[in-house]
Amino acid sequence: MDQVHGLKQILGANLLTSREQKIPFQTDASYFQGQEPLAVALPENVKQVREVIKFCQEHSIPVVVRGGGTALTGSSIPFKDFIVLSMAKFDKIIEVKPEDRYAIVEPGVKLDALNQYLANFGHFYPPDPASSMAASVGGSISTNAGGLRASLYGTTRNWVLGLEVVLPNGEIVKVGGKVLKRTAGYDLTSMFVGAEGTLGVVTKAILKIWPLPESKGRILAYYDTIDKVGKAISKLKGKGITPLIAEFLDRISMDSLSKTRGLKFPDEVDYMLIVDLSSTRESIDRELSDAAEVLKEFGPVSIKITTDPTEMDRIYEARKGAYSSLLSERESNSERVVIGDIVVPASELSAALKESEEKVKEHHLKVALFGHISDGNIHANIYADLDNREHMERIDRFQIDFGKIAIKHGGSVSAEHGIGIEKKELLEMELEETGSQYTMEIMKTIRKAFDPNGIMNRGKMFD
Amino acid sequence: MTESLLQKLEAEVGKCISCGFCESVCPTLSPSGYDLWKGARGRVLVAKELAKDLRSGSDGILHVSDSFYSCLDCYACLYVCPAGVNAGIVSHTSREIIASGMLPENENPVAKMIVSTTMKYLNPLGVREKASKWAEGLNFNDNSPDLLYTGNMFQLMPYTKSLNSLRNLMGRRMSKFMAGLVGKHPPLIGFISNRRDRDLDARMSQSLRNIVELLESSGLNVKYLGSNEPYPGTFIYDLGYADQFRIYAEKVTKILKDSGAKRIITIDPHTFDLLKNTYPKFVRDFDFEVVHYIDLIKDLDFGKSGEKVTFHEPCHLVLRECPYNSPMDLLRQTSEVILPARSGRKTRCCGGPNELLFPELSEKISEQRYGELRETGASRVVTACPICFTNLAKDEKTIEISDFLIEKLRK
Repeated sequence: MDQVHGLKQILGANLLTSREQKIPFQTDASYFQGQEPLAVALPENVKQVREVIKFCQEHSIPVVVRGGGTALTGSSIPFKDFIVLSMAKFDKIIEVKPEDRYAIVEPGVKLDALNQYLANFGHFYPPDPASSMAASVGGSISTNAGGLRASLYGTTRNWVLGLEVVLPNGEIVKVGGKVLKRTAGYDLTSMFVGAEGTLGVVTKAILKIWPLPESKGRILAYYDTIDKVGKAISKLKGKGITPLIAEFLDRISMDSLSKTRGLKFPDEVDYMLIVDLSSTRESIDRELSDAAEVLKEFGPVSIKITTDPTEMDRIYEARKGAYSSLLSERESNSERVVIGDIVVPASELSAALKESEEKVKEHHLKVALFGHISDGNIHANIYADLDNREHMERIDRFQIDFGKIAIKHGGSVSAEHGIGIEKKELLEMELEETGSQYTMEIMKTIRKAFDPNGIMNRGKMFD
Repeated sequence: MTESLLQKLEAEVGKCISCGFCESVCPTLSPSGYDLWKGARGRVLVAKELAKDLRSGSDGILHVSDSFYSCLDCYACLYVCPAGVNAGIVSHTSREIIASGMLPENENPVAKMIVSTTMKYLNPLGVREKASKWAEGLNFNDNSPDLLYTGNMFQLMPYTKSLNSLRNLMGRRMSKFMAGLVGKHPPLIGFISNRRDRDLDARMSQSLRNIVELLESSGLNVKYLGSNEPYPGTFIYDLGYADQFRIYAEKVTKILKDSGAKRIITIDPHTFDLLKNTYPKFVRDFDFEVVHYIDLIKDLDFGKSGEKVTFHEPCHLVLRECPYNSPMDLLRQTSEVILPARSGRKTRCCGGPNELLFPELSEKISEQRYGELRETGASRVVTACPICFTNLAKDEKTIEISDFLIEKLRK
């Protein structure tokens, strides 16, 4: 209780200590259930963040930083007697400077709210994880979130120019800056991106922003085999066409979207491919037509082009909600959807998708496959009965096999969701199978240099 | 009964996977300082824990009252939830569990006070008599099959506003003590309901008179129950007292039936929603035609001006299963309507329903919403609900739709 008293001195009413108030902070969007934290800190300013961190360091209290609570790997849940450091009150957009292509924002700003604001300037911030409605800038930096538009714009790492970070020893550092170019020593900004709160607390971010595309169009193509989907997208990219978005969905995913969003899909098709292109008003039609010709080479059951913004928005929003929509296909409320997240080079997609389907059958699992196909990112959404141990063990074995497929084809076990609790073993496996064990030593050394007592997100990423 | 409530709660929270989408639209979350249990996802997670405890017969008592009573029942969460979870239903069911007596430590004295005074006086503050003063001098048609049913809603606003000033003076603990006292001895309500905001009272009375004038201009001379008009019981239902609500709704129905009315003309969203969607589930012979007065005046010629106004859409009209858009449609016939970023199925509640139980939270929500409405650059903010009006009348730019329409009609 002395520790709680000490934190109360720093935070006053911004410290939550009752069991009831702490309950919602024990959960994120993953299937992992956290434990009761010692307290929840909701600091209002950098000074409070710094003092909380220093206090926790002094008393060896583990800290987990929380953004929007949308992590899928358990990276933002607390273990017993952790302090949850919620950055929700850091919710201001400080500056937008379109002519210099940057925006300075606090980490608690939600991604959709940021983009809604940037639209007033004719600009946007491209990273758009499916959870962008609820995901925060800080959380998406900490997991190097990707999203649908990563096909063209890459992941969060490509869009962070600079950061203000409170380090585990309480020092406040500023890395990077407002410029689009910088070659001044190590790229520490990039190091904090994807660090899952193990190296410090992001308190401010300078983000690169970009003008909104002048014109967009969409091709919807339906295929009867997954092999054709993979080959079609590889050919498209081989022809030099980089889609703004390229998503694929299987039948289970389409059925769930029909139920939850009222979307209609042809009955006889098993796979859907959504390809968006962005271009100038003058050339969008030609580019859509060229891309459609390529897709037609692989015998789609049907294919359609649309530039109707209402229809495009509806499908875009539906695809972003696809993960949660899968719940409509659950057999009981006790089932959850465990989401696998691998990436392979686009040219390996066809083979990787086929092998993934075989593994699904081998492990007798109900799995919906969808993903950001243009950058080789496949999501295997596994229906999981959390109360059935044997079933969960089978899922673990599938996840290992799914990860091995990624490694075999030159990819990675984690494309955009991070490591958290879920992929610690897979991360080790990837480094081992690729002969990169020493990389783990480097990462451990870095973590120890920043946080010798290991208080920051203890038990996550690696031990 | 309690088993069925528990099952209902388990079914609703069981669908949730904690994606957090609902938090992005929940009006109570950021004004509560991001205290998650006062946000949609947090309420579902707390309810999950509550259900688990109740099912296992755990001895530990969860003090969950503030989490569920602070929910505004706006249902904004439902329209962004990919799994179809309604945190409003979760909160309502949890309040029903509290009201059923299963969790006596969680009962809210203010809620109990409101229920007991309403049951006794057919009005939450015992001001039914005074609630008919606005109609003095007006001629109604006692033989009309159409009953103008105000539900006392406009009339209550000046009293609740004063009550909140009193609460601020007394502090939270004293207010709860007083509420507990009145809950046990309803006649004491007279001591705290003898104050009303006179300016607001004049404004609300004028709005009511304007509604009558609009109906008369449409050729409708309606009947009105005057001091016999009961409050519809919205609070009793919203606070989760289902058994008492059933008894109360039957009483109200009898009064309405005894009046000989065939059609009930409602004038505020809460009464409209309650009578149209909830009463038929609780009262077997509730067979009235329930209409909103806007539908009866839409053929009037209001003319069209170039004025740019914004409209705050009430949750109980646009966030229910069948959205009711007649006020907006009519407004568009008269002016240019610029909607705020959050509108339609994403409208943001004004915070009004929290006014009696969580006045500070209610105030913060209303400030946030008013800011959004002003950001549209419109010259005026039009509301179509007395609660919304009272909460959003931050300056002279806010106007009740009946006042706005009369102004246009007279031009």
